[in-house]
Amino acid sequence: MKWGLALFLTIATLVLVAIAWFQSGGMKQHAMFSATTPEAAVQALMSDIQSHNYQRAFASLDPASDTDLPSFIRDVAGSDGSLRTYASLQSADVSPLHANQDEAVVRVRMNWSSAVGSLDDVRDLRVRREGSVWRVVWPKPAFPAVPPQVVSVNYLRWEVIGRNTSQAWGSQDVDSPKVRITSMNAISRPGRVVILGEVENEDTIPAYLNVNATLLKADGSPIEEEGSFDMISHVLLPKQVSPYRIDFPGIRMEDVKSVRMDARALLVPASADPVIAITDQAVSKDGLNRNVLKGDLINQSGRPVNIAQVLAAYYDDSGKVIWVSDGYVDQALMPQVPVPFAVDIPNDIAQRLKNYRVIVNHYSRTSS
Amino acid sequence: MRDAQERLALPTATSIWQRPIPVAAIILLALAIHGPLLVMELPATTSYDANLHIFFASHYAHHWFNPWNEKWFGGFSQTTYPPLTHQWIALLSNVVGLTEAFMLVQLAAVVLLAVAAYRFAQLWVDDRAASYAGVLAVFAGSIAFLVYSAGQLPTTMSAALFFLSLPYLYWWCRTASWRSLLKGIALSLAAASAHHVTLIFGSVLFALPVLGLAWYDARKSDQSGVSVIGRAVVFAAIAGVGVGVVLLPYWIAIIRHPIEQLPIPHASRSNLLMSWLYGMNYFIVPYGALLLALPFVVIKGASNPRLRILLLAFWVTFLLALGGTTPVPRWIFGRAFEILTYERFTLWATVLALPIVGLLVERAIDRSPRWGAIGFSTAAVASLALALGWLTWSPFRTTSSLNVDSVISFLNRDGHDQYRYLTLGFGNALSKVGTYANANSIDGEYNSARLLPEMTRYGAAQLTSAKYFGTAGMDSLRAMLQHANHYGLKFIFVHDPFYEPLLVFGGWRQVESYESGEITVWSKDDAVPAHAIPSDTIPAPWEGLMWGILPIGSSILAILFVLFLVEPPSILEGIAIPAETPESVYVNEVHL
Repeated sequence: MKWGLALFLTIATLVLVAIAWFQSGGMKQHAMFSATTPEAAVQALMSDIQSHNYQRAFASLDPASDTDLPSFIRDVAGSDGSLRTYASLQSADVSPLHANQDEAVVRVRMNWSSAVGSLDDVRDLRVRREGSVWRVVWPKPAFPAVPPQVVSVNYLRWEVIGRNTSQAWGSQDVDSPKVRITSMNAISRPGRVVILGEVENEDTIPAYLNVNATLLKADGSPIEEEGSFDMISHVLLPKQVSPYRIDFPGIRMEDVKSVRMDARALLVPASADPVIAITDQAVSKDGLNRNVLKGDLINQSGRPVNIAQVLAAYYDDSGKVIWVSDGYVDQALMPQVPVPFAVDIPNDIAQRLKNYRVIVNHYSRTSS
Repeated sequence: MRDAQERLALPTATSIWQRPIPVAAIILLALAIHGPLLVMELPATTSYDANLHIFFASHYAHHWFNPWNEKWFGGFSQTTYPPLTHQWIALLSNVVGLTEAFMLVQLAAVVLLAVAAYRFAQLWVDDRAASYAGVLAVFAGSIAFLVYSAGQLPTTMSAALFFLSLPYLYWWCRTASWRSLLKGIALSLAAASAHHVTLIFGSVLFALPVLGLAWYDARKSDQSGVSVIGRAVVFAAIAGVGVGVVLLPYWIAIIRHPIEQLPIPHASRSNLLMSWLYGMNYFIVPYGALLLALPFVVIKGASNPRLRILLLAFWVTFLLALGGTTPVPRWIFGRAFEILTYERFTLWATVLALPIVGLLVERAIDRSPRWGAIGFSTAAVASLALALGWLTWSPFRTTSSLNVDSVISFLNRDGHDQYRYLTLGFGNALSKVGTYANANSIDGEYNSARLLPEMTRYGAAQLTSAKYFGTAGMDSLRAMLQHANHYGLKFIFVHDPFYEPLLVFGGWRQVESYESGEITVWSKDDAVPAHAIPSDTIPAPWEGLMWGILPIGSSILAILFVLFLVEPPSILEGIAIPAETPESVYVNEVHL
């Protein structure tokens, strides 16, 4: 009995631990890090990136990869305070595209959790066989270098003086800037009602702006109130126009009788710097055959912009705003360096759109 | 050579080595070891939950009979968490202040736990081995881990009270002493009032083995096993009804609003073999040198019929403490596996193992008094040292030590408390802000009380730590910020620049900066003053009255019973705990 029970408990514990190890994917993980298939090699690489083990990830790459460790880390983890530096790999779906005895191409869809929401990144990776092990060939990323130069900055800047700093922010003893909602369009989308349009700062001073909408029933009682959140440019310089979009998930258009709009503006210090130019805009299809608005952003000032958000308004042939979409750029905008962007457009909108307009919001660490 | 032989000679029967360590000495040791650490207020700066419990206590200090707390989540009921330890802190805080009161109650829990380990061990082994178990409890890594790293005061207090009640259950079952019944019941109710989960699991993991032991001992002593079972049923019935009544507002709250939020990840549920850091945190550190004694625990426990049931209880608890390292917890708990955390099982497993470890110490000291004592003292101190050192070496750091005075000052002036606030990157310091600020937060540290859809739909815990929950956390935070106006959320305090981009793009602007820029204040200009959020979870006034009287009343009753209901010696004399079957005595050394 003495040894029997002791032996039983010991063996049972070991068996239970082994079962859980298999259930937890221990064997799968072992196979993955053995990299005996192209998919396993990519999965192992993604696993290392996910755990921020860049050295091991780099060591697992094919020697033919024309890259070095700093470039690899910069490519994967971002640099210069870009959105990628505020992100971590959440998941990676791997699917083989084609393969032969010694080489394969594997598509990996990476989902990154970032400071502003989730980001998707799709890459097609070449994988090569080396003995019994497959290794990913990581192409050397191209980081454009700008020659040293002087950039003169003479953009407008507005400061606010004499404000009573002991007051709560928002309680100002000056008139608020005059802003006007120039268009408002309520549309029905699957599972939600969307209010969109444009708002203009009609004043000669900068405005800090929030737009809220309240859906009302036939009897005038409110159904729901929502704000534009990040689907607007909150800082509007004089005469500047921003699109806005307010989503009401779970609301049906039939239940809505009217909409009450509320645009609240506040005088704030502001600067026209940095100016971000948008070039080569075009509507096209991406690698996954989705409609996108593509283009390049060029930071024309002298300081980096860490995170840029592209906000696009789409118009039909009557000039009415029919959709507003946005996208964050995961690279920092270094001065004078073009950075590509792409913003999704729903299929039905793409068919109806006649024109579009793009503005860029930005976040820089030094200015908040 | 001769000197060495003399030094290592076996002690005489009257030697200090052969006598049990007095319980007073165990208490003094616990005070000496843990007193200074608690005077330094270590849990308040190094643990995850200490500030949470201080927050709960601060509510009782101001609103003893009103468990509705508006400071977190737009309002939540504190009847969702047993109040005993919080109410004792609230009482003592009138004399010494909140944090100091927490430390006093925690010290009481640690001392009681050592005594409880001793008293529990007395049921299974002789007094001397039991006293070693009590001493080892003072140094146990699992206790240090729960106190200084996890900050789980209710768990430690409840475990202490429940283990203290078990000898009375045993004696009630064996002797039908009504005094034992009353003391056992009162201590059980107090244990439930401190932490209901301990009582629920303890009933199976600790009480059943004791019941089995009483039955076994009764049969050995030619007593009726049926009467033992009958008395146990009486005990269980009275305790069940008592717990039902004492914690009635809790049951009402949990039945009305069962926990339906998406599971929140917790490292103790993971497979510890898949991450050495988790393995270190939840296995090596809590068990410490006890791991070296496990072979003895298994072999000795299996070899002695009286200890066999204790061994089985330890084994099951040990498996549960491993979390996702074995499939057992998932098999047993089903969906509840994703709600429970498993570090507390390590504490329970430790206390269950200590009686047998006490035997090991006894045997070692008998064989070699000096080296046995030195060896086990070193192992015990090393276990405690590892658990305390891990507070520094562990990558899992808390932010409890963050200075939040400026945040509290901001919220308590100029009418800022008419809005709700949020902290980002504050970690456990969130509770400190909540304790001392007049304003209400939309966030909170107590996951089970969250009912707002922005928090329950995503499978993330505190918004202040949103980024650690990946997409789920950031989506939850984003949803809450989008509804800022609805909740009157105007001020956000940021201690981690990671969150700044979302605030900038979402329409907040930085308005203040404190602690040399370490903490920034962000504001939303169009936020309207917060209004009460309607809720059907607000307890009725009678529930508040019950909540303010019965749990603390049960603990006072337990104290009075233990102090004044002394068992007549005649009762205990008639019933003997069978001694451990002596094993063969071997001659250690023969010197010719």
